[in-house]
Amino acid sequence: MSKFTNKDEEAAFHRNATVDGRPLEPHEREAFFNRYLPPTPNSHSPSPARGDRSHLQQSSSKKQPRKTHLRALIMSQVHLLIYTLIHFFFSIYIRIRRMYHAVVNRFMSVMYYHHRTPELIAKDVKALDRVPDHLSVVLELRQDDGLEGLLEDVAEVAAWCCSAQIGMLSIYEKTGILKSYQQQTHRAITRNLHAYFGPPPARPTVSLRAPHMEAYSPPSTPLSPFPGPDPFHINVLLLSADDGRNTMVDLTKTLAEMSQRGKLRAEDVTADVIDIELRDGVMGEPDLLLLFGERVVLDGYPPWQVRLTEIFHVPDNTEGVGYQVFLAALHRYAKAQMRFGR
Amino acid sequence: MSSSLHLSAIRKWFLQSPPVEWCLQHSRELLLGALRQGPVPEHIAFVMDGNRRFARQHQIETIEGHNLGFEALARVLEVCYKSGVKVVTVYAFSIENFKRSKYEVEALMDMAKVKLAEMAVHGALLDRYGAKIQFLGQKDMVRPDVLEAIDTAIEMTKGNSRAILNICAPYTSRDEMTAAIRETVIDYSKPATPLKRPFSATHIARNILSDTNPTSDPSSRNPSPNPSATTSGLSLDASPETSPTTAPSNSRSTSSLTQNFPDPENINAETITSHTFTAGMPPLDLLIRTSGVERLSDFMLWQCHQNTEIVFLDCLWPEFDLWKFMPVLVEWQWRKRQGEDPDFNRGRRRKRAADMAKGNHMSEGAFLPGKLKVAS
Repeated sequence: MSKFTNKDEEAAFHRNATVDGRPLEPHEREAFFNRYLPPTPNSHSPSPARGDRSHLQQSSSKKQPRKTHLRALIMSQVHLLIYTLIHFFFSIYIRIRRMYHAVVNRFMSVMYYHHRTPELIAKDVKALDRVPDHLSVVLELRQDDGLEGLLEDVAEVAAWCCSAQIGMLSIYEKTGILKSYQQQTHRAITRNLHAYFGPPPARPTVSLRAPHMEAYSPPSTPLSPFPGPDPFHINVLLLSADDGRNTMVDLTKTLAEMSQRGKLRAEDVTADVIDIELRDGVMGEPDLLLLFGERVVLDGYPPWQVRLTEIFHVPDNTEGVGYQVFLAALHRYAKAQMRFGR
Repeated sequence: MSSSLHLSAIRKWFLQSPPVEWCLQHSRELLLGALRQGPVPEHIAFVMDGNRRFARQHQIETIEGHNLGFEALARVLEVCYKSGVKVVTVYAFSIENFKRSKYEVEALMDMAKVKLAEMAVHGALLDRYGAKIQFLGQKDMVRPDVLEAIDTAIEMTKGNSRAILNICAPYTSRDEMTAAIRETVIDYSKPATPLKRPFSATHIARNILSDTNPTSDPSSRNPSPNPSATTSGLSLDASPETSPTTAPSNSRSTSSLTQNFPDPENINAETITSHTFTAGMPPLDLLIRTSGVERLSDFMLWQCHQNTEIVFLDCLWPEFDLWKFMPVLVEWQWRKRQGEDPDFNRGRRRKRAADMAKGNHMSEGAFLPGKLKVAS
C-alpha cells in the first residue's frame, strides 16, 4: 500500500534505478506508482465525471449493493458539503481580497496623482530604463456614462502617453463605437491635451487612424507655425473586435481567391506574408498591453499581434481607468519597483 | 540556497511518513471530489515556464529542472483528469526553443524520448486515465528517433476517449494560424465535386432566354461552352476589399459555379478554427502561465483571445501543484457561478435529480434544497 516508504526510494524512482543502483524493471516501476492511478475504467460505466468512486461502486456492487449505495450517497453529500464550505470561505476571502486591493488602489491613486501636469508625469517615468514604443490599452464602453465616459478615458490615456513620450497608442474597444466618432474622439483628445500642455507650441499634435478607414486629420492645421522644436506627436489607433479574427478571415478570403485564380500557390502562404499584411493593415506588435479590468480576458483583442506583448493588469481593479494603473504598468514594463511617494 | 533544499528534504520526510501521507492522500481525494460538484473547465492550457530558473535557483542541472517540471506536469494532469477536465494543452517546446544551446535541446529531446518510452512500457496503466495523447506542432522538426517515440505514444493511446492531452511541441501559435490559413486556402482552391441535381442550369437558362428576353447579348446565351474567359475577366477587376456584396459577388458566384470552386465568402472564423490543431475540442476556458511572466509567448493566440481567463502565477513550474492550482480553479468556479447564477442552480438541481434517479433511492432528498440555498 505505501508507495515511497522513504525518500531514497523516491530518488531511486526518479533516476530510474533501485536503491542499490540496479536499473529499475518495468514491473517494479509499475508497483511504485500503481497506487496513484485511478482504477481501470469499466466499459459499462460511461460517465467519466463521476470518476473513480462510481467504478469502485460498480465492481463491488454485486456483493453488497445496499452498503455501497449508502456509501456513495454519503460520499456525494460529503463532497457537496466540502464544495459548499470551500465556496463559502472563498467568497469571504475574495471579498476581503477585493477590499484590500481597492484600498491599495485608492492609496496609490492618491500617492500618484498627475494633477494634469505633464512635468509631474515625466518625472514619474524619468527613472524608468525603458518605456514602450507602442502602448495598447483595452477600454470598455460602460453602461452608465456611455460614449462620454469612453471619450474621457481615451483623452486621459492619450495625455498620459504624451507626457511619458509614448508615441504610439492603440486603443481597443470591443464594439468599435470610437471608429464611428473619429471627429469627436480627435476633438476630445486635443481638448484634453490643451488642458495638460497649454496652447499649441507646447501642445502635442495628434493623428487618429483606424484600420481600413481613412485617417482622420483635423481641418487645416499648419505644420508648426511657431519657431522652435516641433511639438510631440502621438499616433492614436482605434481598434475593435473586427480587427481581430475577422481581419484574419478577410485575409484568408483574399488569399483563397488569389489561389483560385492561380495567382498564388499554397506554399506562398507563410507567416511572413500574413505578418506583413496584418502589420500594414492593422498594426504591428504592441510592446505593452494594458488592461483596466479586474482580470485578464482578451475579449477579442487581435490575436496575431499579441504574441510577445507584455500583458499588464492590476488584480481586482474595479475602478477602471486610473493613472496609478498606467504608471504601475510602465514600472512593470521597465522591471522597476514602485516606491511610495515621489 | 542549499539550506532550502535541506529544509524541503525534512518537509518531504515528514509529508511522506505513512499517517501524514494517508491523510494527505485522502484530503486530496476529498477536495477533488468536492471540486467536481461545481462547474469544471473543459479545456485548460498550461505554459510550463520556470524550469530553468528553478534549476538555477536550486543550483541543479538545467535538465534536472526540466525533469522536475515533467513530474509537476504528471501531478497537474492527475488533478485535472480527476476533477473532470476533458482537454489539457501544455506548451512543451516552442519552435523558438531550437535557438537555445544545442546541449540543452539535445538533453530535452533525450528526456522526451525516455519519458515516452517509459509511457510505452506502461501502456495499460496509462489507459486508466483514458487520456489520448496528441502532439500539436511541426513534428518534422523533431529528431527522427524522438518522432518514432511520439508516434508510438500517439498510436498507443488513440483509442482512449475520456480525456485528451495535447502536447505542443515544437509549436508556435503563429505557425499554427499560418498553417490553418494555408489549409483553408488549399481547401478553397480545390474544385469541389460537381453538384448532382436533377435540373440543368443550361436548360433553365435557355428556357428563360427563349421565353422572356430574345434580344440579350450573345455571351449569356450559351453559358456552358467557354465561360471561364468572361467570368475570370469579370472577377479580375473586382477587388474583394472594395465592395464584396454587390457586383463582384455576382461574378464570383458564376465563376464558382462554373469552375466549381467553393465561394471564399463562406470562410468565417469557424472555418479557420476547424483547421487549427485544436479543432473539435471544447473552447479554451483557462490558460495558466507560471513563473510570473505576463506574456503569451506565441501560445494558443487564436484560441485564447476571446473569453479565456488568463492567469499568471508567480510560482515556478516545478513548484506548481494541487495547492497552487486549486485557488485558480475555485476562483474560476466562483466567477462562473457569479456569471450565471440562476442557470447554475438549475443545472445543479438537474444533476442532483439525475443522481437520485440513477439509484440513490434513499429518501434524504428532502434536505437537499436547504443545502443548495447555502451553496448559492
